Amino acid sequence: MSRRYDSRTTIFSPEGRLYQVEYAQEAISMAGTAIGILSSEGVVLACEKKVTSKLLDNDGSAEKLYIINDNMICAVAGMTADASILVNNARINAQSYLKTYNEQIPCEILIKRVCDVKQGYTQHGGLRPFGVSFLYAGYDDRYQFQLFTSNPSGNYSGWKATSIGANNSAAQTLLKKDYKDDLTLKEACELAIKVLSKTMDASNINSEKLEFATLSLSKVEEGKVIHKIWNDTDVNALIQDSGVLNDKSTEDD
Amino acid sequence: MNTISQRFTHANTNDVANEINTVHDSLSHKQTLELAPSISVPPISQPTDFLRAHTDDASNPDCKIKIAHGTTTLAFRFQGGIIVAVDSRATAGNWIASQTVNKVIRINPFLLGTMAGGAADCQYWETWLGTQCRLHELREKERISVAAASKILSNLVYEYKGMGLSMGTMVCGHTKKEGPAIYYVDSDGTRLKGDLFCVGSGQTFAYGVLDSEYKWDLTVEEALYLGKRSILAATHRDAYSGGSINLYHINEQGWTYHGNHNVGDVFWDIRDQEQSFVNVDG
Amino acid sequence: MDIILGIRVQDATIIATSKAATRGISILKDTDDKTRELNAHNLIAYTGEAGDTVQFAEYVQANIQLYSMRENDIELSPLATASFVRNQLATSIRSRKPYQVNCLIAGYDTKKDQPTLNWIDYLGTQVELPYGAHGYAGFYTTSLLDKHYRKDMVVDDGLKLLKLCLKELETRMPIDFKGVYVKVVDKDGIRSVELD
Repeated sequence: MSRRYDSRTTIFSPEGRLYQVEYAQEAISMAGTAIGILSSEGVVLACEKKVTSKLLDNDGSAEKLYIINDNMICAVAGMTADASILVNNARINAQSYLKTYNEQIPCEILIKRVCDVKQGYTQHGGLRPFGVSFLYAGYDDRYQFQLFTSNPSGNYSGWKATSIGANNSAAQTLLKKDYKDDLTLKEACELAIKVLSKTMDASNINSEKLEFATLSLSKVEEGKVIHKIWNDTDVNALIQDSGVLNDKSTEDD
Repeated sequence: MNTISQRFTHANTNDVANEINTVHDSLSHKQTLELAPSISVPPISQPTDFLRAHTDDASNPDCKIKIAHGTTTLAFRFQGGIIVAVDSRATAGNWIASQTVNKVIRINPFLLGTMAGGAADCQYWETWLGTQCRLHELREKERISVAAASKILSNLVYEYKGMGLSMGTMVCGHTKKEGPAIYYVDSDGTRLKGDLFCVGSGQTFAYGVLDSEYKWDLTVEEALYLGKRSILAATHRDAYSGGSINLYHINEQGWTYHGNHNVGDVFWDIRDQEQSFVNVDG
Repeated sequence: MDIILGIRVQDATIIATSKAATRGISILKDTDDKTRELNAHNLIAYTGEAGDTVQFAEYVQANIQLYSMRENDIELSPLATASFVRNQLATSIRSRKPYQVNCLIAGYDTKKDQPTLNWIDYLGTQVELPYGAHGYAGFYTTSLLDKHYRKDMVVDDGLKLLKLCLKELETRMPIDFKGVYVKVVDKDGIRSVELD
């Protein structure tokens, strides 16, 4: 039945569904997990790196984490090539808002603008939707720290903690169990590691399989946002601190 | 660039514009391919400058086209509604083109527009305004407000700003929600709401009489006389105003026409009656 | 010959604009308001080419209100408002038919609890100032303001200083500007003030 309708992005099936959009979402649910946790001190984004080959020669920069502007970063699940188009669009939008208003773009406005692009591809004919979901971490003076997700349909929503990509429902259950409103940023980071260690297929977790970023406020300069994409040593230290390795070893015993 | 228009526009004082125009000229003289299709265009680089050079006798006294300009028109609000009074002379340069011009355009039974400036511009765009008002009425099942009607006109002339339109007009009318209302609209794009306006080359003379005698509590009869008297004053002193006076009164029933009064007759009547204009023999 | 004056004090920004609307040699109206409310805490006062002024002010007003409609009634801050206006004029000056409009933007930043006064000209120059003017008014009043303005003044002091400026304008300006409308922008919004 679906055959006649699923090849067209713009046409509803008799059950009122847009198959291409659902397929895109399906593709994402197999991509590497990304989770985001909001704390009063900042936001943490953590992703699982899927492609890890010893022969891969990259410069060590993150492949699923992007800096959008001084106030926002995002994590990607899905097709990286599609993501780079949207990230580029987001960066341009952020700069153009800054040029017009002399103020950083409020997070939600930027997300809305990117989502409008995504929505467009679910409606105008002859094109496929963007195969990407985003986790946005941001700060603005309207709502302070914020965490958002968006998906290929162009919907977006705000969260305290959430995840996208593979095993996202399992991750969400874990987050729901362990999330507390008064988390510090450090605790949020450790929670992220803990959740990822359980949802990832790999038996032992290390910096090679992880990408990690945090957004926090500067202690020196008021209102200045610091975004940090973590290097391998810091990630390994965090894994050590979080105690997931110890848990594993005791379980093994 | 056309040499005549160059002499009589602001462009000759602007080095950058001159430079750009020179480049334009040199480009337009480049050789054309004989077999290639082409479109004939007027040999002018700046149509607005060209128009100004040939029509604006302030910058070029020898200009060949003299647009009808001189006029006195007035409108004022008072206790009994609105009075609209205008002269009827059309001049082109020093030539009196007509003594029987109708300078009040009846947009609909509740709206009047006055004409000053370019006769053709006013006539064309105020009849156009009439159609816009009728369309509004058909769409909204309600008569257009004076505010909205005047804004349609002012937005329109603003689109043509700097392209040679010349209009000074008053949109006068009565609606239930506004009561009697007058809006001044001119080709600069200015739109002002007010109680009393005089427009045209004779405006100062009309203001002189009107301001001194004007009261809100005027009776309709007094107000009609004051309107007529103010235009008469202007026709007497302004060479570009004259002919006859057209009078209108607007109230909640719409406008009523109060006749065409020949300035020649009115002048002597009023002189006798008022014992004024004593410097005129006869 | 229009008068546009602005003074920022501790708790508010004061704007004064002349009431006369002049065309050619006649004053056509003596109750002309040369300001538009952009949103609850931002007021634009303008002078310049007839026609352009109102068209531009209303265009900016519409866009700033559109922003609030789209963004859940969130107001653009005074700095963002002024930057937006500057950007519009800077774009316009590079177009075929630029807006010839100079303006002052009085605002109150409700987040930072700060009044602001932004001076913007038709070329797209923008500066944040304690006091400012466009046109001839500036020639007569800036020296007075330089002499008497103090950082710790409040609205009443500001109005007193404004009265001093207006007195000077009334004695020295060669044409009658028919008095001024005075508006105050503070934490409670925009309000008109009658000077006695």
